[in-house]
Order: sequence, then C-alpha cells, then structure tokens
Amino acid sequence: MPTVSVKWQKELYPAVEIDTTQSPYVFKCQLYDLTGVPPERQKIMVKGGILKDDSDWSKLGIKEGQKLMMVGTADEIVKAPEKGPVFMEDLPEEEQVVAVGHSAGLFNLGNTCYMNSTMQCLHSVPELKSALIEYPQSGRSNDLDQSSHLLTVATRDLFNELDKNVKPVAPMQFWMVLRKKYPQFGQLHNGSFMQQDAEECWTQILYTLSQALRSPSTSANLDTVKELFGIDLVSRVHCAESGEESMETETVYSLKCHISHEVNHLHEGLKHGLKSELEKASPSLGHSTVYLKDSRINGLPKYLTIQFVRFFWKRESNQKAKILRKVDYPLELDIFDLCSDDLRKKLEAPRQMLRDEDGRKAGLKLKQKNTSSVDSDVKMSDAEGPSTGSGESSKATLGEGVASDKNVQLTGVYDLVAVLTHKGRSADSGHYVAWVKQENGKWIQFDDDNPIPQREEDITKLSGGGDWHMAYICMYKARTIPM
Amino acid sequence: MDPEPNNKTASGTGNPKDESTLKAPSKDPKKKDDKKEEDLSEEDLALKHQLELYVERAQDADPGLQKVALESMRQEIRTSTSSMTSVPKPLKFLRPHYGTLKSYYETMADSDLKKLLSDILSVLALTMSAEGDRESLKYRLLGSEGDIGSWGHEYVRNLAGEIAQEYSKRVNEEASVDDLIELVEQIVAFHMKHNAEPEAVDLLMEVEFLDLLVKHVDKTNYKRTCLYLTSSARYLPGPDDMSVLDIAYTIYKQFEEYPSALQIALYLDNMQHVKQVFTSCPDLLRKKQFCYILARQGLSFELDEEMCADDEDREALQEIINNTKLSEGYLTLARDIEVMEPKSPEDIYKAHLLDGRASAGASVDSARQNLAATFVNAFVNAGFGQDKLMTVTSEASSGGSSNWLFKNKDHGKASAAASLGMIDLWDVDTGLAQLDKYFHSNDNHVMAGALLGVGIVNCGIKNDCDPALALLADYLDKEDSSIRIGAITGLGLAYAGTQNEQIRDKLTPILGDPKAPLDVIAFTAIALGLVYVGSCNEEVAQAIIFALMDRSESDLGEPLTRLLPLGLGLLYLGKQDNVEATAEVSKTFNEKIRKYCDMTLLSCAYAGTGNVLKVQHFLGQCAQHFEKGETFQGPAVLGIAMVAMAEELGLDMAIRSLEHLLQYGEQNIRKTVPLALGLLCISNPKVHVMDTLSRLSHDADSEVAMAAVLSLGLIGAGTNNARIAGMLRNLSSYYYKEASLLFCVRIAQGFVHMGKGLLTLAPYHSERFLLSPTALAGLVVLLHACLDMKAIILGKYHYVMYFVVLAMQPRMLLTVNENLKPLSVPVRVGQAVDVVGQAGRPKTITGFQTHSTPVLLAAGDRAELATEKYVPLSPILEGFVILKENPDYREEA
Repeated sequence: MPTVSVKWQKELYPAVEIDTTQSPYVFKCQLYDLTGVPPERQKIMVKGGILKDDSDWSKLGIKEGQKLMMVGTADEIVKAPEKGPVFMEDLPEEEQVVAVGHSAGLFNLGNTCYMNSTMQCLHSVPELKSALIEYPQSGRSNDLDQSSHLLTVATRDLFNELDKNVKPVAPMQFWMVLRKKYPQFGQLHNGSFMQQDAEECWTQILYTLSQALRSPSTSANLDTVKELFGIDLVSRVHCAESGEESMETETVYSLKCHISHEVNHLHEGLKHGLKSELEKASPSLGHSTVYLKDSRINGLPKYLTIQFVRFFWKRESNQKAKILRKVDYPLELDIFDLCSDDLRKKLEAPRQMLRDEDGRKAGLKLKQKNTSSVDSDVKMSDAEGPSTGSGESSKATLGEGVASDKNVQLTGVYDLVAVLTHKGRSADSGHYVAWVKQENGKWIQFDDDNPIPQREEDITKLSGGGDWHMAYICMYKARTIPM
Repeated sequence: MDPEPNNKTASGTGNPKDESTLKAPSKDPKKKDDKKEEDLSEEDLALKHQLELYVERAQDADPGLQKVALESMRQEIRTSTSSMTSVPKPLKFLRPHYGTLKSYYETMADSDLKKLLSDILSVLALTMSAEGDRESLKYRLLGSEGDIGSWGHEYVRNLAGEIAQEYSKRVNEEASVDDLIELVEQIVAFHMKHNAEPEAVDLLMEVEFLDLLVKHVDKTNYKRTCLYLTSSARYLPGPDDMSVLDIAYTIYKQFEEYPSALQIALYLDNMQHVKQVFTSCPDLLRKKQFCYILARQGLSFELDEEMCADDEDREALQEIINNTKLSEGYLTLARDIEVMEPKSPEDIYKAHLLDGRASAGASVDSARQNLAATFVNAFVNAGFGQDKLMTVTSEASSGGSSNWLFKNKDHGKASAAASLGMIDLWDVDTGLAQLDKYFHSNDNHVMAGALLGVGIVNCGIKNDCDPALALLADYLDKEDSSIRIGAITGLGLAYAGTQNEQIRDKLTPILGDPKAPLDVIAFTAIALGLVYVGSCNEEVAQAIIFALMDRSESDLGEPLTRLLPLGLGLLYLGKQDNVEATAEVSKTFNEKIRKYCDMTLLSCAYAGTGNVLKVQHFLGQCAQHFEKGETFQGPAVLGIAMVAMAEELGLDMAIRSLEHLLQYGEQNIRKTVPLALGLLCISNPKVHVMDTLSRLSHDADSEVAMAAVLSLGLIGAGTNNARIAGMLRNLSSYYYKEASLLFCVRIAQGFVHMGKGLLTLAPYHSERFLLSPTALAGLVVLLHACLDMKAIILGKYHYVMYFVVLAMQPRMLLTVNENLKPLSVPVRVGQAVDVVGQAGRPKTITGFQTHSTPVLLAAGDRAELATEKYVPLSPILEGFVILKENPDYREEA
C-alpha cells in the first residue's frame, strides 16, 4: 500500500495511503474527507491523464511518496443568472437612443445645413413637439393653404424620425415641402442649391407653424407658437420735433441684438435693438419726420429667441456681409430691465420666490454640511416640508410641459438651451451648425449628420471675434416657478 | 609646417584619397623639397642630410658600410614610428629615395643585408606604395621576419589590411596562403597584446582563421574579444556568424565565464553546448543561475544525471527551469513596488479626466464594452491573483446577477472565463482552483473559456503532474467547436515550445478530420505550431500541409485560413534555410493561398535574423500595386518587422522603410504598417513611432486607425507610458460612438497598463541578445489575427488576444541570495551604452539612478550592482539573479 502526498490548491496533504486493492473511488472518498471536494468533482492528475473511478492502480505505476495533484472545488458551482443582462447591441434602434443620450443628426442634402441646424434647434422644444403630435393628419382648416399644411405634417414627421433613430436621418420629404412652400429656398446656383440664411428659414418655418397650429376648437389659447415664442412689445413712439407721443403694441418672435461698436455683450445689443428711429409722416407737422421708437417687453415667452444681427447688405459686394465682432452671451440671461413697468410688477413676486428658493438651496447645503449625521435627518425633513409646499425644483416642473402651464410663473430669468452658429463670411455661404442642450444637461453639437458632445464652457466660446463658429440665433428657455 | 596633408590614416583599407595625396610628392619631389628646405629647422635639415647620406651609403659597394647605413636608417625609423600623429620625419625625408632604394634592392644579391633593406622598404611602402600594390606586404614577406611590433602600430595595421587583400586574391587563384598565415599569427599576437582585439578579430575574419584566436586570448582580454565577436556576428552573413559565435562560446567556456557561454549556446540554439555548460561547471549555485537563464528563454529542458549527479539538487534545478517560482518572484516585485491593490477598468480609462465627453446613459450594458472591460481587467491584473471583476464575485454569493462573467454575451463569456487564467497567471494551483468551478458549467462558451484559461495559467510553467494535459485532453473531441477550440488553444499555450509528443499525437488527427470545422482546424494548426515552434518537425509540417491541401476553394477565402500557413511557419521560426523544402511544397498550393503561404513561411523562417536581403525581398513584394486587395502583402509587411527587429540599426532602417510604404502603399499595406511598427517597438515606446501611430490612429480608413490604436498599445505594453495613456484617453472620447474603434482603444489601454506596468512583451531579453521563440510566436499569431480585425478580433475569436500571454514577462531585476530568497541590494539602473570596441573600461550605463532591488527595467535599461558586497552570478542583471557574498569585501570603516 503506497503512501502518496496530495496537493490540493495551496495545501499539501502528506501521507495519504492508497489501498491498491480497492477502486480509485475509495481513494477519492478518502480525499473527500480531507478536502471536502465531492468525489465526482475531483480531478486527480496521474500518468496519462485524469484518474478514473474504474482505473487499475497497478497500471498507473503509483510510487511510494509520489506527489499527486488534485483539482476540484468544494464550493458551490457558479450558476448563470436566470435572467441575463440586456445588451445595448440587442436593443431595437429606438431604445438605443436612450442609451446614446441624444437624438440623431440630419444629412446634408446639398447646402442644407441652414435648414438642418434650424430644425435641430426647434426640435429641442418639447412643447412644440407635443403640439405637433396633436396636429391632425388630414383635417386642415379652411384658412390654411395646402403647402403650409404639408410643411407642418413634414415637420411633425421629421421630429418623429429624429426621436426614433440613432443613425442620421435624411430630411428629404421635409426639404421638398419647404421648397414648395418657400420657393426662394430652391434657388439654384451653378446647378446646385444655394446656401441660405438660417434666420430666414427659422422665421418662415415658425410663421407656417403658427398658422397651422392655431387650433380652431379652443378659442382661448389659440396660437401655440405665439404662446411659446411670442414676445409682446409695448413701444412708445415719440417725435422730438413735434412732441407727439403714441403707444403701440406688437408681438414679435425674436429679439434682435444689434451689433455696433459699443456692443460687447448681448444685453447691450438687446437694449440697442429695442430702440429704433423711424421716419414717417407726422400728421401735426404735415411732413415726414424722425420718430424715436422705444420698446419694452410686456409679455414674456417660454422660449426667448434672440437673433444677432450679424449680417447687413453690402451693396458694393452685393451680398450679406457679416459682422465678426465678439458679443458675449451668458448661459443664464435675466431680461428684467428690458421689461415694461407693468410686467416688472408682475414678475416681482415670482422673482422673490426664485431668489428665496435659491437661497434656501444654498442654505440647506450649508446646513447639511455643518450638522452631524444624527440630527440632520430631522432637520432635513423639516426643511423638506416648506420646499415641497412651495413646489419642487424648477427643473422638475419644466419637464411637465404644457399641461401644468397654468400654474407656473415666469421669472424673467432664462437658460440657454440652443445656439445656432454660423461660420464663414456671409450669410449665403459658410456653414451653419446647431448646438443643443439635451434633456440630460449635455450639450451636443449637431454638425449635419454628425452629433458631437461638447462641454458647456465651450458653448459660451461661440461669441464671435474670429473665424470660428459664432452665435447667430440663441434660444433661451424660461426659468419658471410654480405658484 | 608641413603643408602636405599627413597620411597617418594610410591603414589597412587605404582609400583612394590617400592614394592621391601620396602620389603628389612623388611626382615632383625635387621642386617641393627645394621649397621646403628653406622652411626646415636646422635640426630637421641635419636629419635630412643624414638620411640622404645613409641612402647613398646603403648603395655602397662595401657590405660593412652598407650594413652600418641600413642599421642606422632602421634605427631612425624605429625610434620615430612609435607614435603616428603625423608622418614621421625620417619617413618623410626618405620618401624621395624610395624609388632609388627599390631599384637598388632588385640588384642586390641575397644576403642578410638584402633582408634588412627589405624591412626598411616594407616600412617605407607604408606611405609610398601605390594603392593595390601591397608592396609593404611584399617586402615584409621578403624581409627578415623580425618582431613585427618594433615598427609601430601603424605599420602593423597597414600590413593587416594588405594581408586581407592579398588573401582574397590568393584564395581566388587557389594559391598557398601559408606564409600569410604565419604573418597573421604574428600580427594577431601583437594586437591581442596591445588592446586591439577588434583589429585582431577583423583580420582573422578576413583570412577565415578565427580558431587562431583561442590561442591568443588571455584573462585580461577575453571579455573584450568576445564582446566584439558577439556584436559583430549580427552583421555577418550566412554560416560565418555561427562560427564566430562558436569561437566566442569556446573562449567563454575556456575562461569559465559560463553564463555568457550559455547565452551564446542559447543564441545558437545548440542544446549540445547547453549541456556542455552544465557538465563543465561544478558549482551548484552557478547551475541554478543557468536554470534561471534557461527559464527566461522559455526553453523546455530536461536535466540528466550527467549534468547534475545528485537527485535532490537536480530536482531543485529542474524546478527553476520549470518556472514554478516565477509567480512568487513577480508578486515579490509587486509588493515591493506596492501595486498589489487590484485595479478596475475604470481606473484605467480615467473617464473623469475627459469632461463632457464621457458617454452618457450607462444604464444599459454594452456587450462590446463589457468584453473590452474583461480584457482590460485581465491584462491589467495579470498575475496578481486578484481583481475587481472576476475574483471578487466568487467569494461573495456566487451566481448572483453581479457576476461579471454573465455580463458578457455568448462568446464573450469564453474570454471572460479565460481571463481568470490571466489573472492567476503562472500560479497554477490557485488558477486551476478558480477555473475548476467553471468546468461544471452547462454553458459551452464558459466551458471553452475555462479550458483556455487552464492553458493561459500554465503558460511557460511546467509541472510534473502535467495538469493542463490531463484536464484538457478529454475535451479535444467534444462536439461543440468552441469547447474544442478552447481545449486545443489551451494546450498550445501551456505547452508552447515543449515539443511534447503526446500533444502532437492528440492534435494531428484533428487536422486530418474531414468533419472538423475550419476554425477548429485553424486553431489546431496554431497550437501545433506553438508546441513545435522552431523545431522544423517534419511530421507536424506534413499534417498541416495536408490540412491546407484538403481545404475547399471556399474555405481558402475564409479569414481564419490564414492561421494554417502561420502554424506551418511557426515550425520554422528563425530556422532560415531549413524552411526551403516546405516552401517548395507550398508552391503547389491553390493559388489563392500560395503567395500568402510563401510570405508567411519566409517571414517566420527569417524572423529575428536581421537578414537585409530578406527585408529587401519583402519590400519588393510590397512595392507591387494590385487592383483588388491582395492578401499576401499583409504578411510581407509583418515580415519586414519580424526580420528587422533583430538589431537596432536594422530596426531603425525598417521604421524608415515602413514610412515609405505608408506613403505609397495601397490600403491593404497601410493597414498592416502600424502592426509592423508595433512589433518593431514592442514595449519600447519610441517617440517618433508613437507620433506616427498617433497620426494614423485618426486615419480616415477605419482599419488603418484600428491597427494604429492597437499598436499604440503594443509599443507601450506594460510601460504605463503617460503620453500614450493620454493619447488613448483622447482617442476614447474621439471614437466614443464607433464601437469597434472604441473596443480597440480599450484593449490598447489594457496593454499599456499590462500588469500595472510590471510586464513587458518584448521577445528579446538578456540585453537584447536572446530571442525567446515562444514569445515571438505568440506576438506573431496575434498580429496575423489583426490582419483581418473585423473577422477575428472584432468577431467571435477575440480570445486570440490571449496569445500575448506567451510574450508576457516581468520586466524586473530580482536579486536572490544563495538560498534563492529575495535579497535587497542597491543597484544602479540607467540607459545602456554600447561599449563594443571602445578602449579602456568605459561605463556601460549612463544617466543612472540608484535603487534597491527588486527594480523595474525599461527597454534599453541596464543595471549594475552598486555594492561590492555581493558578486552576481550572471553578468547580465535581468530577471532572477543569484548574488554571492564577495569574499574580498571589507566593510568600510
């Protein structure tokens, strides 16, 4: 009966006797006692492979004092989980969008970057999307022409496509309809379509949508577009010569930021843009004279669109030339001082609440840091009481959309959500790109079919002053406070 | 004062420039001399007249007077030729009379005097004789055969050059060379005595009589001699290099410099020599050091009683060769450097350094990204036995959803299971215990991975119980092909280079099995190629050749078919001409694979030889342009790298040639160039190569970019190179949307941080002298798989990545004491300096820092002991080195 030593994992069991008259299974049972590895899982290395239960000891030539090696695990066997993980590669394309974190790009169909970037910016307005979804496919109201109807449907379908796809989308249908509605976008130059002004495209599309989305049934809020983008202006028209003064009101879809030598910041440009001179016939003087028009904002939109007036018609070169001047714009814009007195009064209460809430948040944070973990629980719940009473954080309410529209208040504070930039020297050349903030807070640069993630601090660097992309249209979203 | 350019450089080779400057004075000596005479100082003038007088007297009829004149002339020359900063005056003044003396010599009757004059003429010919006349030699042979050194160094050198020329002429004419050899012997003796070993070796190589060297080396000069011999061997053609190394071996052995002798024996791949080293060295401790050297080379070597009589000692020695303590040493190093803490893939990606660009929405697992993480985790924690993905879950309640293994999809699970083998690399006991759990899995992919893991964990380690063979053999004939591939590949990795006949008997039948799918056959060929790497084994070659011939036309177009010729090529790795018979057979293959096979065989056979002709051959193949992408240019480009990687000069030239290929080559060449660069600079991040690859990693062609990204990983493998790490991090955000490229970036990141920076993939070791064939084979398999990235690595055969395990070695110096326990001593580590042929005792390292062992060695680093207290038993401080106490050491007060 030879004695061998058995090595199992890191341990060595010396002097294990082998009863060569018995089958190797007996030996395995011996080892089971020592190691706790069940015999069927034991793998013992001997000459010519693994020791089988029915092997013949005599043929294996086991020598006295030989070292044997045993492999086997006493632990439980690893089992596959019943439900395997879901892999991104297996998901249908729509669901991959969620994983990617941004919507698709748009293919350039030949100098259509102006259109692509416009659509990407508008696409980032969820309220517009939901309004479009409700738009009926067939039932067009009588006062709407066929091409406007088709353009609206095409817009809806394009937004749908963008949401569904990960891969870039080719906006063929939309473009055809757009050209039909606005033939100026179909201009050809040397046999290819010309580059166009994105601002014109933006304005025209919004105009069409405002026509189409004027719902006939509900009488009250009839114009969704106006509600979302419309800015009410009240202007005092004053004539220095005659002393005449009159009040006018109007609704515009965007504020203009005029760029002159003094303008270094968006705010200054806006102020500039709200003052204008016009020449018209004065009824009292009997001849035409200069009137000063001084506008103030009287009604705020949910989405504030600001156009940088970067292009002017240069007669000598017969094209829209560009002002390259650097005009800074903030990520957070407060237009309180551009508002009319009426509006200011209305804004005061919500603004106070906004300030309070900000202060509370900061204060709460301080408190959390200072207090020890034991009593912080109590204080936390204390602090939560009023905050839930007054409402959730502004971000949460923002997501609720149109439904909760009635009980939120505008504050005059706006956050930047989309920037449409232009790169190049004239409006009809160069390249347009959209930079859009996604719902998860990340910025994506939509360069036609290529969405590129960007950092927030790089967005403010698009303020011009070089040949880099510079902001042409900025879209701000209102920060609201629930009442 | 001497307007003539001095011609002290008129040595052996004598270039045409010397000739022209020499001839000028002899054309019109009179005029020149007249002019000069006015410039000469009084002393010189006197000497000149004196010499003129001697010349005149030498032609005197009176033998007595003649003798006196000649003797004095000789005296003058000898006293002045000892130094040769400018043409010695006596020689200069005698120049005009060279012709006269020569003609007089012809008229003289044979006598001692004639011989005397002959000696003088021989010396004068040093500056006077026209190129190619070899008059110095002629008169020397006619002369008195006195002490050759008495005429000065320059004379001897010139003579040596002339002998070389004369020798080749005589050999062509098949004339006798005995008189020359006699002279050579004198010259060699002179050189060897005067620290001019390179000259002596050069001369002997010219006259093909190196054996003579052995007689003349002594204790003081054998090291320099051998160093010159071994370094020059790299640049010698054909069988010459072998004979040169043979001499070096003999000399080393003669002076009991056994470790060096052993290294040469390994270079020559001469097992007889290896055996001789063991038998001729009586010291057990030194034998242990030999075993460490053998283990690093990855050689399977059985000691017999002749080499070590005592059974117990022999067992201890064999244990070292079997690499059983490698894991222990590696962990000692890791503990010393304090990198035991496991790292997760996120620690490597360092996504927090990339603001804004980190991919959003990590809510859904990506199978490809998880697979990448599996590989990164395996490479980074290789050999440490612990990680944060695979080993932790097994300790906690197993089978939970947190188990990383099951976060991989299908074949990804194979790589995940196999990664356990990588994590427990070299630690067979723990590794097998970990892997055993997965042997009971009912998932075929998991099984396959566990089998492969057994191979990985045993890679380079030999165990008497042969656990890998015992465990894997049963699975070779399973139905499922992924299990079969797992077992086959596992055997290939575990027994690489062992030439184990059992494996051959088990694997060759698979090649002939008509029912076996192509992938099984392909991996069988590779496994056999690895086991019999560089063996030129006929039987295995036959089996693979038949398998290739049996393939159907459609099979030959499959991406995996390329592994069959590669398996064949590995059999002849570095064996040069031995491949010819097989290469001849390969010409009969189907034309679809013929050229591919030819290139693969040639590149493998000449791998690591530095053979310039072969490099040119491959370049020639790459110069052809084809309409449709021909596949054979891939192995041709790799071939350039494989052949040229042998030595630094050729390597730099190859890098430059590859740049040209990048510019002028078609896409199929461009996509291979990064891989070739990766092989040339493996684990050696040269800055300009890094820049080239960085440029290519943004290439418009995705295949070029992928290869470049992977190669960035290869050149930085195991270095933790911060620059490459930064590049890869930026690439990861640049390619965040492109899953395949991102996968490559991740793998490359895993490579760079391989073993947390303690490992190297370089197949060259021992100061870049020795090439480990198994290591090179592993790299070549990986690179060939990369030739079709989409089908193999990005497809379902990603586990070919584990073939790098063959090349993985700790890049350490671990000093151990006489009981083989780690011993910390101070060492200087610095950039290695080439000291071949330099005078004196130059420093071998520069810019060094002092550390205490164990230390890491980067590419091109060399270490030396900073203490006199110990004596290393190996002249090359790499890997495991045994230190012996210095008996002469005295503690400084």
